[in-house]
Amino acid sequence: MAVQPDSGGKDDVKTQFVTREGTYRLMTLSEYSRPNRVGYTSGSGSSHVRVSLVSLPPGPGSGAPGSDGQGSDDRICFNHGKELYVYVYRGVKKAADLSKPVDKKMYKGTNPTCHDFNTVTMTAENVSLVIGFSTGQIQLIDPIKKELSKLYNEERLIDKTRVTCIKWVPGSSNLFISAHASGQLYVYNEELTCGTTAPHYQLFKQGDGYSIHTCRTKSTRNPLYRWVIGAEGSCINEFAFSPCGTNLAVVSQDGFLRVFHYDTMELIGRARSYFGGFLCVCWSPDGKYVVVGGEDDLVTVWSFSELRVVARGQGHRSWVSVVAFDPYVVSFTDPDNEEVIEEDKQKSESVQCYRLGSVSQDTQLCLWDLTEDVLKPPVRARASAHLSPNSQTFSPNGIPGTKLPTKGTKSNKIGHKHAELSGQTNATGEPSGAKLATKTKSNNISTLNISVGKAKEENSGSLGVNSLTQRLAGFSFGDRRSEHRRNFSLTSKPAEQKTSASNTVALRGKSAGAASNDTYDPLKLIGTPLCPRFDECPVLEPLVCKKIAHERLTALLFRAEYLVTACADGCVNTWARPARTHNGEPRAHRRFERIDLVD
Amino acid sequence: MSICQDLGLNFQQRMGANISQLERDIGSEQFPPNEHYFGLVNFGNTCYSNSVLQALYFCRPFREKVLEYKAKNKRTKETLLTCLADLFYSIATQKKKVGSIAPKKFIARLRKEKEEFDNYMQQDAHEFLNFLINHINEIILAERNQNTLKVQKNASENVTCNGTVPQNTEPTWVHEIFQGTLTSETRCLNCETVSSKDEHFFDLQVDVGQNTSITHCLKCFSDTETLCNDNKFKCDHCSSYQEAQKRMRVKKLPLILALHLKRFKYMEQYNRHIKVSHRVVFPLELRLFNTSDDAVNPDRLYDLVAVVVHCGSGPNRGHYISIVKSHGFWLLFDDDMVDKIDASAIEDFYGLTSDIQKSSETGYILFYQSRDASC
Repeated sequence: MAVQPDSGGKDDVKTQFVTREGTYRLMTLSEYSRPNRVGYTSGSGSSHVRVSLVSLPPGPGSGAPGSDGQGSDDRICFNHGKELYVYVYRGVKKAADLSKPVDKKMYKGTNPTCHDFNTVTMTAENVSLVIGFSTGQIQLIDPIKKELSKLYNEERLIDKTRVTCIKWVPGSSNLFISAHASGQLYVYNEELTCGTTAPHYQLFKQGDGYSIHTCRTKSTRNPLYRWVIGAEGSCINEFAFSPCGTNLAVVSQDGFLRVFHYDTMELIGRARSYFGGFLCVCWSPDGKYVVVGGEDDLVTVWSFSELRVVARGQGHRSWVSVVAFDPYVVSFTDPDNEEVIEEDKQKSESVQCYRLGSVSQDTQLCLWDLTEDVLKPPVRARASAHLSPNSQTFSPNGIPGTKLPTKGTKSNKIGHKHAELSGQTNATGEPSGAKLATKTKSNNISTLNISVGKAKEENSGSLGVNSLTQRLAGFSFGDRRSEHRRNFSLTSKPAEQKTSASNTVALRGKSAGAASNDTYDPLKLIGTPLCPRFDECPVLEPLVCKKIAHERLTALLFRAEYLVTACADGCVNTWARPARTHNGEPRAHRRFERIDLVD
Repeated sequence: MSICQDLGLNFQQRMGANISQLERDIGSEQFPPNEHYFGLVNFGNTCYSNSVLQALYFCRPFREKVLEYKAKNKRTKETLLTCLADLFYSIATQKKKVGSIAPKKFIARLRKEKEEFDNYMQQDAHEFLNFLINHINEIILAERNQNTLKVQKNASENVTCNGTVPQNTEPTWVHEIFQGTLTSETRCLNCETVSSKDEHFFDLQVDVGQNTSITHCLKCFSDTETLCNDNKFKCDHCSSYQEAQKRMRVKKLPLILALHLKRFKYMEQYNRHIKVSHRVVFPLELRLFNTSDDAVNPDRLYDLVAVVVHCGSGPNRGHYISIVKSHGFWLLFDDDMVDKIDASAIEDFYGLTSDIQKSSETGYILFYQSRDASC
């Protein structure tokens, strides 16, 4: 009963999964791939299939090339091997028409690895798509107009290594950033040339574990800046701008997350993986949390305000390749709920529960609920169904002024208002802020999938009975942890607290000029807020964990009506969200009526 | 024998160009001082031995202890350990930085020591590793007991009269390097009594799942198992066979953690072993999730230092090579050939995501070395 099933490849690939919102279904006809799919042979190595989606502003010319009179303003771009495709993306409304790509490219001697649409300059008739390649070059095209085609780093004078991530600077019409396997990140202006010689750099700024350089030339040229980040030659795997565009989070193969203030180029904070490289990074929609995934098979949640790892999610069977918040499924504090208000009045508007998605090389999709009770230090022992009594003696994680709850008995139900942003999107296709959300009543949500550390149930005899607590807390043999480990506090031991505090100060101050190697030594960082010991940090379990592909998953995007996943064999799949309910009543199914035909 | 010598000659001639290539790839300035990269000549299906020996050579604590043994022990009786020490010493004291060596004496000794290896058939690299580690350990223990016996005889003839030699339980350097402790906890489902038993290991043998990580395979290794039906647990408390739940977790983490991926599965329907080529990723850095609550150093951080790779379709065919990390870069040892490889090429040895292909090059034994190792 407690034995886990064989994790072999025989598990069925799921075409639907259920959360509390309802059932998500795979839209089998909305599968995008190369037009004539021939028998795919699983090649090793670079299967970096990525997906970019863009919603073009509706234009007068529905006859514009590419839009094809199909009535969809969405375009999807994905790469597979040497190829890159742009299609009209018709979401869940209509089946994919693979016979007429908007654009397709086949490259020789190099593979496209990543791409990004510019949402600032786009119109109904044109859009700039910047593409990075496995050999370091960068191309700028307009897949609709097809007039534009520029190359950057063409002679590989700037960087010879694979472009691992490429993105337009938020709000900018002409600046984009490329990250490379060499551990460097370059800021380009698409209007400038790259020169005919290798750039000569001069130091512009230096900080703890990074330096920023500019080109030493008379006329400005590309790259505008070169950021050298982390241990020498350690691949930058991904970067992400905060929703406000102010901060830049970068994850590297050296196992570090680094968060910079983009304009001042100051290092704001760091986190260290439990082990191995960090592979992917994303921001919560409100910019309060950064989530990273990596080679430790974990999803790690880092608090921007507290500069510490606040939780880890364990559920994947292999490396986590993409993490993404679902901005459309957010639960808010219930203002009607007295308890919450009395607890924290200012925050009655703030998000109470975030929905996070992750996909992995294990071919599984995991969905996670990040609830306030885990993210915030255990000020009160809510959702403490699985905490041992001594967990109430937690130190409140160094947050000054917080008091331990006086109310001892607390139900583990949290009054959540379950709200979904009702499809309101701005031009970029992103939700225009959580506050716009229409609040919908929904059931109380108990955060049963959370247990803290190795806190054990008091009743050690419940082995194998309570499946929710079993995995972490469970299998309690009645063995007791040694005293110093049982009384775990999330702020770790005093000595370590001291060093980590001074680290933080150094990081927050100007650039910490005299950075000792210690600040990057994982043996010194273990047990600090940057990398808590495993049993000192809350461990989340996924809400949903489903095998949804035969191949490694490489992309995950959340949109108002659907989610998009892609895997290493070049298949891009669309999953329809559950039909919404409003006040408990099924809503008009207008938006989804065609689904039934497809399904 | 003459065939083998011919082969050896051929290889060495062929190597001429390659050797300088390796030095060129590394660069004379980058070439680490006092380091030698020497391939090992194949004596006819001895790649199982060559690949393991190279991996062990680049487990620095092991190499240093073997060389220390060589320095301390003036030629006594030839054992497999003296042959290994001579081989390591010979590699470490070569004038040239790169080249190839014929481990003739070692192979000859190995064939004398163990019948199973006394042929020209392909052997299982893990079986060989297991044999070698245990055998070396026994040699050390035997020599130590001999010494204590001598000391006792010389020093005092009237100390003990019970005649039994006090067993020296102090760990050998093989124990210190490779030995870890597993604690198996069994809970009787009848009386709820938990009994735990410790056992030592030199390596962990883990089942492999498709599209998983070694981390996950290790976690599965420690999954709770229910003992029932024919496999009930004899509970001392109940004095009878009862259903029980059992799990194994790591209590003492070894200095070098050797992980054997069980890639050869016996399939009844085929009546033979089939290679499981599942893709199992292994990170360059590792911590264990499956440690016991009383583990001494549960967050010990390991670095991948060597991988024995099996190439081919089955246990008795195919080829073994090894990839090792030395001074920050990765080298591939394919018998007498040595090449520098990019760290990104390691992913070629994770395995296959589909079963269409019969043959694969997959990580088979992983050597993780604790970062707090004193060297």
